[in-house]
Amino acid sequence: MDTECVSLLPRVCEVLADSARSLPDDTTLEKLLDWFTGFTKAGGSLLEACPCLLEFVSTVVYNTTSDPSVLSFTLRLTGLMAASEDGFIMLQEYSVLDLVFKLQHWQEAGLWDDPCIRIGWIQGLWSMLQHPKALTFFVQSGDTPYFIEPLLQLQTDRSIFVASAANQMLAHILLFFQPPLSAGCNGIGKKDGDDKRTHASITDLDQPAITLENRAEYAAVVTAILEYLKESLVPKENTQLHQSLQLLKLLSLLLTQARSPLRDMLLQTVAGSLEELVTTGYSQLTVPLMDVILAAHSSGTDEPDKHITHLLSSMLKINKPADLIHAAAAVLRRGHHDTAHTAWAVRLLLLPLSIITGQTLLGAAGDEHHLSMVEQLKSKTLCIPVVCVSLTSSPQITLMPADFLPCPPVTIVTAVLSLLRVCSGHVSSSCTGCTEVFRNVIGSGKVQRCALDALTAFSCSPGAKEKISEVLTILTQYLDSPDSDPTVLHKSYQALVKWTCVCKDLSSIKDQLRQDLIRVVKKRVCDMRWEVRDSTVEFLGKAAGVLKSAKEEHDVFEALLGGCSCTTPLLKEALQDPESYVRASAISALAQTLAHSWHQGAALTQEQTEIVSRLLEILSQDTEGFARRAVIQFFITWFLSCSSHSPPSSSTSSSSSSLLMNSVHSILSLGSTDLDWEVKVHTLELAELLLDEAFSGHRGYGKGSNSHPALLHPNAVVSDQAWKSDLVSALSGLVELGVISVLLSGLFDCDRPVGLKACQLLITLRETVCPLSLEALDATTAMATVARVSCELPGWGWGQEIRKIVRMKKNDRANEMAVTGADEVCSKEHNEAGEHSVSEGGESVCVGVCEVLRSLGLDERLGVLTQSSDHVHNSPLSLLQDILTASAAHAHPDTQPGQEVIVDCY
Amino acid sequence: MKLYCLSGHPTLPCNVLKFKSTTIMLDCGLDTTSVLNFLPLPLVHSSRLSKLPGWVSKDGTVNLEKRELLDLSTIDVILISNYHCMMALPYITEHTGFTGTVYATEPTLQIGRLLMEELVNFMERVPKAQSATCWKNKEIQRILPGPLKDAVDVWTWKRCYSMQEVNSALSKVQLVGYSQKVELFGAVQVSPLSSGYSLGSSNWIIQSHHEKVSYVSGSSLLTTHPQPMDQSSLKNSDVLILTGLTQMPTANPDGMLGEFCSNLAMTIRAGGNVLVPCYSSGVIYDLLECLYQFIESASLGTTPFYFISPVANSSLEFSQIFAEWLCHNKQTKVYLPEPPFPHAELIQTNKLKHYPSIHGDFSSEFRQPCVVFTGHPSLRFGDVVHFMELWGKSSLNTIIFTEPDFSYLDALAPYQPLAMKCVYCPIDTRLNFHQVSKLLKEIQPLHVVCPEQYTQPPVSQSHRSDLMLELQPPPMPYRRCSVLNLPFRRRYERVYILPELANSLVPSEIKPGISVATVSAVLHSKDNKHTLQSVPKPPPVPPSKKRKRVMEEPPVVLVPKPLLSGAVPLEAFLATLQKHGITEVKVEETADGHILHLQAEDTLIQLEEDGTHIVCDNNEPLRTTLRDLVLRFLQKL
Repeated sequence: MDTECVSLLPRVCEVLADSARSLPDDTTLEKLLDWFTGFTKAGGSLLEACPCLLEFVSTVVYNTTSDPSVLSFTLRLTGLMAASEDGFIMLQEYSVLDLVFKLQHWQEAGLWDDPCIRIGWIQGLWSMLQHPKALTFFVQSGDTPYFIEPLLQLQTDRSIFVASAANQMLAHILLFFQPPLSAGCNGIGKKDGDDKRTHASITDLDQPAITLENRAEYAAVVTAILEYLKESLVPKENTQLHQSLQLLKLLSLLLTQARSPLRDMLLQTVAGSLEELVTTGYSQLTVPLMDVILAAHSSGTDEPDKHITHLLSSMLKINKPADLIHAAAAVLRRGHHDTAHTAWAVRLLLLPLSIITGQTLLGAAGDEHHLSMVEQLKSKTLCIPVVCVSLTSSPQITLMPADFLPCPPVTIVTAVLSLLRVCSGHVSSSCTGCTEVFRNVIGSGKVQRCALDALTAFSCSPGAKEKISEVLTILTQYLDSPDSDPTVLHKSYQALVKWTCVCKDLSSIKDQLRQDLIRVVKKRVCDMRWEVRDSTVEFLGKAAGVLKSAKEEHDVFEALLGGCSCTTPLLKEALQDPESYVRASAISALAQTLAHSWHQGAALTQEQTEIVSRLLEILSQDTEGFARRAVIQFFITWFLSCSSHSPPSSSTSSSSSSLLMNSVHSILSLGSTDLDWEVKVHTLELAELLLDEAFSGHRGYGKGSNSHPALLHPNAVVSDQAWKSDLVSALSGLVELGVISVLLSGLFDCDRPVGLKACQLLITLRETVCPLSLEALDATTAMATVARVSCELPGWGWGQEIRKIVRMKKNDRANEMAVTGADEVCSKEHNEAGEHSVSEGGESVCVGVCEVLRSLGLDERLGVLTQSSDHVHNSPLSLLQDILTASAAHAHPDTQPGQEVIVDCY
Repeated sequence: MKLYCLSGHPTLPCNVLKFKSTTIMLDCGLDTTSVLNFLPLPLVHSSRLSKLPGWVSKDGTVNLEKRELLDLSTIDVILISNYHCMMALPYITEHTGFTGTVYATEPTLQIGRLLMEELVNFMERVPKAQSATCWKNKEIQRILPGPLKDAVDVWTWKRCYSMQEVNSALSKVQLVGYSQKVELFGAVQVSPLSSGYSLGSSNWIIQSHHEKVSYVSGSSLLTTHPQPMDQSSLKNSDVLILTGLTQMPTANPDGMLGEFCSNLAMTIRAGGNVLVPCYSSGVIYDLLECLYQFIESASLGTTPFYFISPVANSSLEFSQIFAEWLCHNKQTKVYLPEPPFPHAELIQTNKLKHYPSIHGDFSSEFRQPCVVFTGHPSLRFGDVVHFMELWGKSSLNTIIFTEPDFSYLDALAPYQPLAMKCVYCPIDTRLNFHQVSKLLKEIQPLHVVCPEQYTQPPVSQSHRSDLMLELQPPPMPYRRCSVLNLPFRRRYERVYILPELANSLVPSEIKPGISVATVSAVLHSKDNKHTLQSVPKPPPVPPSKKRKRVMEEPPVVLVPKPLLSGAVPLEAFLATLQKHGITEVKVEETADGHILHLQAEDTLIQLEEDGTHIVCDNNEPLRTTLRDLVLRFLQKL
């Protein structure tokens, strides 16, 4: 711990303990506690490091007029200090613990009603209960025999935070202190005989601290909790449902983590209550009850308990269809694989679908729940959730082994398709579904969305591919429907992309369907709602991207949407959209659509020239960042797809890559002067690609900023002339494209991510062209040519900044040389190489790239930039200082009420 | 109370309500679908149309759904709910002996006049050389081709009315404002309520002191331009006559509007023209407003919009001046001051231009591609006929149907084969079944009367159980020519009492808070008002003997017997009997009260809630005693 902090801490404690002084803001205590927790977790001892805390605790705990939040903080702090055995012993010596956690103390002071005291109490105890001594304290302490009693009461606290903390605390005690796994360990709750004792001491070697005494204590805790569970699990009236809910959550938590003896005892204790709950059938408890039963049923290694199996069967036969569906869904969700039950759950989940659509999903045999389910579905409010659960589980069902399924998976797909038809109001007269239910689902956006999600997932179901034609028809219908909600349209597009990408053979699709789809897409691009236009444009991009990603499927895109010739004009139109999101999506979609032709190095078209000039217009004029970011991304994509097949610079002038290279300069200069930092970062990413391109194959060029230039042997460089001349031309090329200017301007950007990225790239560049390790050889002829490559700096802003640094650096060096008595001529020569045309005013000047790279102190700069911007203000020291400052301001005698100085930590 | 249903058309209703001695006609819509049986009337000679094979019509064309169910001259008043539902007015008020009054709001009258004027103009500017009526003869009709042969009631088809008839009919209109109460002969009060469907559209409440009938026709809950629908005033109706629900229950207006815009943009971008056959008032205002917002986003800024109708100018301007009939946010614009509808700005910036017809200025200004709004939606007459001929051959052009009144396929029939794209986006903002069932749940009428079409799903979509009215008790369906006895009895009537008579009453309290008095008076009824007046004192007996006979005639005013009230308490009565020496009483409890058996006297006393009987044979003194004992417990008035 920082000595400065330690020295401040006593004064801070004073402030906190003084109820008259106030705190800078309400998060201070939390931050302080976080700091202490971090310190403890790292293995430090709070009491040793800051002895003042002990005094603080013992002062505050007597002062019941303190702010409740400070008291709560104290409770938690005490727990934290007592988390180690040493701390615990020391606290007990000062007899602080008894008082701090004495319930009566807080109740008498009238503070127990404040939930923050209650939660502080729970969390304090919780942090403390990390060692056997704490358990002893927990079980017997002072005049209250058990802490367990109040803790159980807090289960039903008014505040849900308190109740939930109490719940987790119980689980913590039970699980943390449960005896380690051992073959014969079943001594809990029994009187220990001598033989058991030796046995335990052997098996508990890794936890030597657990004594026999602890065992008894633990057993007492377990008994108390179990009794409570037995007593309270079944609600006696409706108002107690909340309590049962809490306990069921606790139980499922325990059952999934508890080991053998505890687990068996739990099961034994609650078996009766669970059975009662199952028979009573409270709807609100169905899901948590199912969780408990499934946890009990599945986690055992041997055969599941017959009793539990029976309960599970009963849950899947309860008389309320809505609960039944939820119970069945829980079986599937838990990944339960007991053939009989899973198959039954599947039947239940398919029942609503089968009723509405009239598809024979469940075979000819009638179902006992059929009638009650029909009644349920006739009620609008109950119908939709049931159908949605059924739909959500259907994709999982289709992927199950055949012996779980009452029908082939394809039939389920058919049923969902016909449900989609019902939802849109297009029911064929041959549909044998329940017409009384139709009125509840027709036009329901929620059901439509669920069904479309299911449909999307079905694309991977076995045998589903044969439905492609039908699926496309329905999706086209949905896309065409004027009543479709934008989210429904979005999901339809998703499904469409998924299905077309899975089904490679689209030859069975009728021409009419294709024409319809093209017409619908054309219409949707003109939709009034921007969300719809956005989804449509996005779809066009995805379709082009997905379908082209595998080369042989190129004709799919062609076949389904008429290829680029059909979609490109639509996307070009969308570049003019008034909504920036749509423009941005259109730009990305265009990139995906054109990527293929770029990849193949296709010839330049008039259209591409038009698109590029429009994009440059957007980059320079668009008021929204999204569109401008997308433009840079467009060029990045373009660059990537060109360079993957041939280096762009070497292409012929008629190919599209020459257009790209011609535009790069404008992109870089526009992008680097953008107001949006993300645009600038993207611009730097493009610059990075250009660097990669220029230096690919060069030794010493480490892609990314993590390269280790030390690997490069200086002699190797000097000896290789050819490599050097390449380097010169590559570097001059980068200067010409403006890459160097972009990097340098980025370095001085006020947005940290931009500066960081630029700095990393500049370091990479420096390590490639003029590693610092070579500085000694700088003046040799070998490096002279590289050093002569220069770039222009503007006479303002970052240019001026750089010139200032370079000049300073040079002066330093000149002084150094003078001191060492080096030749004057040398420094003069240097001067000429460094700054070719000397001018002081606002004019731009040329400077040597290497000179600049070396002078900038990039490594120090990287260190600064890597730190987060609030690293100063976020330190514990600053926190402590804030507390002191705030209290000083408040304590000032002249301060009138209302004249408070408000200090915000951030 | 009876309802005569003269029209079976759900959105063009014509019903007559007989209620408390008044005869009230509710709307008189004109079903013009019969024009689809005729060839279009081209403005410019069309060789194609004139060469079409088939039967040449010479008649003006309207179908009038009136039957001799009742004599139109007996109608006292006609209540108009919106301008679409008054188009048959001249047929009813002219040449029928009608002498009553028509009630309508001002926008309804003014826009209704525009629509009638437009109709007459469309008809009259293509005069027919001759007219033929013989074909209406059943014998001849039977040999006619195609659908004409099967047309029903062709003899009710009449010539279109003239401007003169229109003016005369409209002169009988009395203007009313929302919630204004109009007394009809003192018997009933009628009052229009905003219905939210179109400018000045109304629902009507027809009520007497104790009965309330609501008439709902063409209402909308959407927030378009008119004032929102007044729902709360419809509460507590005994009978609600429900007509004018949407004709397109499956087409959501919002979706259709979106469809309209995207198809329009798609066509314009591809370099085609868009033709929108529509009425010159109503939805067009919303279409223009929607397009106003859409123009920029779809980069249609330079595309001209033309609105061609003989009444285009008046329609656009009228809509701007009826501020008090507009929805709230349009009203507030007026005070800014700003025109409530954005079409004013479209006109100012020359994006929207309007012309009375394709002749004249329009031809010199006409620029393509463009969007044209023009009538008539049936495509049988009006300027639209010309544009169909002009643009029908190119697949670049699109016709977008927005009016739901005509089947678009029938409307297009004479123009086939057609290369032009057709888009059907019927925009009907009237209540749909979902909205109406919510509304009825809210206002809880005792009985609902509606066209029979609303009580079952549409024939073509028999599974759509959501497209019908399901009510408890079930609605009373009507069809054309039905006469319904409305299912409630009039049980009360308000009667006034003159002050001096009231003064003479002596009320006595029979229960705390309830006092009763007997009244003897003469009931005087005049103008459906009933008044109780004091009984005139018999004139002094005249000396003349001649008048003696007359004297015997006036009612003999007897002093009425006092009325008794109260109940006989059993215990107290038994005690009283005992005091009078009657001790042997056997009490038997019955459903209505008690039977007392006086065994010694062999007498029965039946004490029931609404009567007391003493059965006592041949023992008058005992009976009298018992009677007096009973009377002791009762109050006299």
